Amino acid sequence: MQSEVRQWIAESREKLEGNGLDGGDLDRLEAVLENLSPPKIMYLTARSINMRSGIVGWVVFVPGEKPKLKLPSDEPPYDSVLEAVADGWRVVQYPISKLYEYKDLENDYVGFDFILEKWN
Amino acid sequence: MAEIKPTMTDDDVMDFVAKGYAVLDTMVDPDFNERCRNQEPGRAKDLVGSPEFIREVLLHPRLAGVIRSLLGPNFLMPTGGHHHLISEPVAGQDWHSDGISGLGYEINELQCYYYPQDVNIEDGPTMILPGSHCRAVNRDALAHYGDLTGQLSLVVKAGTVAITRYGIWHRAGPKLNHKPRSMIKFSYFRNEAPRRDWVIDSEEIPSYRDRPAAPYTSGVESYRDLRRRIHTWNWLCGLSEEESMAHDRWRPAYETGTQPVEEVALP
Repeated sequence: MQSEVRQWIAESREKLEGNGLDGGDLDRLEAVLENLSPPKIMYLTARSINMRSGIVGWVVFVPGEKPKLKLPSDEPPYDSVLEAVADGWRVVQYPISKLYEYKDLENDYVGFDFILEKWN
Repeated sequence: MAEIKPTMTDDDVMDFVAKGYAVLDTMVDPDFNERCRNQEPGRAKDLVGSPEFIREVLLHPRLAGVIRSLLGPNFLMPTGGHHHLISEPVAGQDWHSDGISGLGYEINELQCYYYPQDVNIEDGPTMILPGSHCRAVNRDALAHYGDLTGQLSLVVKAGTVAITRYGIWHRAGPKLNHKPRSMIKFSYFRNEAPRRDWVIDSEEIPSYRDRPAAPYTSGVESYRDLRRRIHTWNWLCGLSEEESMAHDRWRPAYETGTQPVEEVALP
């Protein structure tokens, strides 16, 4: 999505220096926005609530697509949440520490879930 | 019935306490594997309860020896089971634990997975998360996890049996082919209080020797795991909770104060 909009902006800049934009250009922009695919969603489960901490779990969901038949992976796609953000992922839900009940002795769920999205 | 001899040593039991599973490779006879993999899927009460299955699998000296080591001499035998048969390609199951939760530190149920054929990585092997067997979780809240560091795909040869502490996180892994993948699941139960009557060199109960932390654990989780492992070990050795707590040494000895102040003499 970003690349198509960037291309539209670049072309529009040239047009502004020439004959200017017209209604067709805005229609084209509108079509780009309307035809957006929904974003991919990724859960990155981090070892702590710090965005620089290591990743212990990961999964990507693609809306409208069946789950891919692929072998399990032992290597996380990113070393940290921050590294994923640098690659264009946007954090849409941050693990809030107060929502994690602290039990002195019992372990429960693995890690801290960050939910991220990425538009193509 | 012949006496069942325990097969596990202190170190074997300590490994099981930490990881929550053990694997017995190619234990079952090939002819019996052939017979089992051709069974109908679903409930397998008749198969698991049959004299042949009891002889060839349930009371096989290697499997029964592990069960005897962990559950004591008078354990309860499986009287039913389930035949999980997957034939079509599938993305796999969600992570889950069976039943309600793995809460607690005792070992009272051992759930076994028997594979009557080779299972390769493309065949949808069972995946387990070693060390997850005592986590207090709502199984439905595990379903969002995908890959996890430390996960283990049970890629095995025909006749292998995996023994797990009930509650371990597991899932059927992704299956990329049409080759039938069969697994028969059944459980043994404890029927008497634990005591250290597996294979031992000395009557003196050794302290639990810790194993590496699971790769997915945070700092506080690894402390909790160590504490839980110690209590599981002490409990298996027959110590009461009070006795176990008296030896609660989840922190390094050099960090804990043990000298009464009145015994301190200054020069």
